[in-house]
Amino acid sequence: MANVSIIPSGDFKTSYAADTTIFPTKTSRNFAILGVVLLLACPAFLDRYWLSLLIQIGYLGIAALGLNILVGFTGQISIGHSAFFGFGAFASAWLNNSLGVPVALAIPLAGVVTTGVGLIFGVPAARLKGLYLAIATLAAQYILQDFFGRADWFTGGSAGTIAEPLTIFGFAFDTDERYFYVVLVAMVVMYILGTNLMRTRDGRALVAVRDHYLSAEIMGINLTKYRTMSFGISAFYAGIGGALYAHYLQFVSVENFTILFSIQFLGMIIIGGLGSIMGTLMGTAFMVLLPEVMQAATKLVSGTAVDTALNLRENIAFLREMSIGLVIILFLVFEPDGLAHRWKQIKAYWKLYPFSH
Amino acid sequence: MTIQTGSLQAGSLKTALFASAAILMATAAAAQAADIPIGHLADQSGGTSDVGVPYAQGVSDALAYINAHGGINGTKMAVDSVDYGYQAPRAISQYKKWSSGSDKIVALQGWGTADTEALTGFVSKDEIPAYSGSYSGHLTDPTGKGPHGSKPAPYNFFYGPSYSDALRGMLTWAAEDWKKKGGQGKPKYVHMGANHPFPNAPKEAGEQIAKELGFEVLPPVQFALTPGDYSAQCLTLKEAGANYAYLGNTAGSGISVLKACQTVGAKVQFMGNVWGMDENAAKAAGSAADGVVFPMRTAVTWTGDAPGMKLMKDISKISDPSGNAYRPVHYMAGVCTAYYMKEALEWAGKNGGLSGPNIRKAMYQKKDWVPAGLEGVCIPSTWTETDHRGMTAVNIYRASVKGDTEASVDELVKSGAIKLEKVATEDVPRKPEWLGW
Repeated sequence: MANVSIIPSGDFKTSYAADTTIFPTKTSRNFAILGVVLLLACPAFLDRYWLSLLIQIGYLGIAALGLNILVGFTGQISIGHSAFFGFGAFASAWLNNSLGVPVALAIPLAGVVTTGVGLIFGVPAARLKGLYLAIATLAAQYILQDFFGRADWFTGGSAGTIAEPLTIFGFAFDTDERYFYVVLVAMVVMYILGTNLMRTRDGRALVAVRDHYLSAEIMGINLTKYRTMSFGISAFYAGIGGALYAHYLQFVSVENFTILFSIQFLGMIIIGGLGSIMGTLMGTAFMVLLPEVMQAATKLVSGTAVDTALNLRENIAFLREMSIGLVIILFLVFEPDGLAHRWKQIKAYWKLYPFSH
Repeated sequence: MTIQTGSLQAGSLKTALFASAAILMATAAAAQAADIPIGHLADQSGGTSDVGVPYAQGVSDALAYINAHGGINGTKMAVDSVDYGYQAPRAISQYKKWSSGSDKIVALQGWGTADTEALTGFVSKDEIPAYSGSYSGHLTDPTGKGPHGSKPAPYNFFYGPSYSDALRGMLTWAAEDWKKKGGQGKPKYVHMGANHPFPNAPKEAGEQIAKELGFEVLPPVQFALTPGDYSAQCLTLKEAGANYAYLGNTAGSGISVLKACQTVGAKVQFMGNVWGMDENAAKAAGSAADGVVFPMRTAVTWTGDAPGMKLMKDISKISDPSGNAYRPVHYMAGVCTAYYMKEALEWAGKNGGLSGPNIRKAMYQKKDWVPAGLEGVCIPSTWTETDHRGMTAVNIYRASVKGDTEASVDELVKSGAIKLEKVATEDVPRKPEWLGW
């Protein structure tokens, strides 16, 4: 990916530590903090509709970051991410319903359990690459999906299971206004962890495996270990995201975790930008908001002259699904490097304004 | 240079964002009204949309008709119809939007078994009466005291015999039918359907009564909710020598089974559930649907003669001003369901206001209740505080299909090529041990 981040002249780094801070400049750090502060104030003036969308962006963003670590940073591929997301959701509900683990503990535990499952399904990844790996993860998707449908003790079978709302010291996070903070905290923590991971030796090893696995191996990086580990980390993020989803909706059902959902996760990170932490969040926001925009647009069209002229009527709902597909294709054609790349270019443009040449 | 084009695209992106924000605001403003908020979940694109579309049309038309003729005690209903694609999680997130905030819905017109059963706990907590298109036996136990471990469902109502009771009725009929036809030995019964709460709901209840009635119960056979090639399933039926098979899915996938079984030559008496057969399905399946029996929830079909058919036809004109459309049985069931809700809302409005507990109480006011204006169409139903089995009489009908089914449903019914003939009425006993099962 072309790197166009522009640092003001005179701003020198004199140590490696200074060169690998979480935020490249002071301004970017301040903006991130400001962003979180603004989000903290959101429940005060946003209605439930917008809050529910933000919550969705939050838990999906966490899971998508896991996939980006696997696909964008390690160069592996997975088309079974939604199964891990679902496993986390069911695991958290099960831990709480059957074993009586408090929800606040069940959510991180579900992440750990899902990591274990991810490591098991990551074993083929140590030996397989490219399309072969894609098919292996497809197997994970279907094996887990079938397991969800049949394991009555764990998932409630095809009828699904109820997940209790998160309660801490008798305070129930059962409304959107309250749950928003849970998801926000989780997201900030998980994103900082993710960014931090990329600054460590392990994180650099993952990138090395992606860029040239042979060179990485020659430098002493254990390919098997890092490829499997990447699957584990990815599953951990998916599990946490799924658990947050379960206790938000308070109901988990197998029908949600299909291959289509896995593809949507891939869509999020491709649109956002492979190998970009911030891009992951942007891509998730894009994928969550797009159907809503399309829904509003189709609502506007319904009943108008266009509707009657084309005789759309009930088919107008399908128009929404079709336009989402179309927008994604257009995006891949005109914006192949993702939203993160575009964002960098916008920043560069304003920094150099008006002398951009 | 690249940076320049970047700014241009950023500009258009910004415009697009503003435009979409404006669109969202405009729609939000349009939805505001000080009427009685009613939520309506419909499946118009999912696995059961073949019957979900006519049923939802019935509900929508009836509610629109009520609004156009004085509403509920003079107040109109603000009905929000949402297609949830038969995905329970989508239904629940929609419900959460409806049940929170200032314009909390007063009642819910629901649909599928998975979502209705998942919502049971929510609607009882929020005290929102839910009228479902799911007739799962699990929804019939308001107190949760049923011996089969059913959860309390105090705010769930549906119009019709429960899936379990309907199957009990059909199996009782089947046992008599077997004797009448001079069948030798034990007849073999098999449950068929997808691994989904809707077909699964009456599975155990049906298999238990089948054993009691002297059937040999074969292992259940699975087929998906969507149409497909089910020859393998039919060969299983043929090899196992099944005599009676319950089709737990809706008509769409049921047609595929009927056709495949006709092709492989499996001679089985199929028994559909209430959603398993209708005039459209009979047309689509053609001669394969001939002889299929199913329970019907209304006393007459669209061409039938009853005092209530006048109102039914007036309601139909809401979405079909010409008045020519032929409405399948599900449409009429939708109208009946909407009218029970209407009368309950009216009673509650006059007796203390439109609160959930009041509407629930309204449902218990009448015995053998038929909504005014729909006499002879909707079947008398009785709900009590401890028993939500509104109807236990199972009217078994047989689809009769003769010859070519190329013409429209309307013409086919008129010419007699498609007929729904009444076979029997089985009064399923209201046993306490069957409550919530």
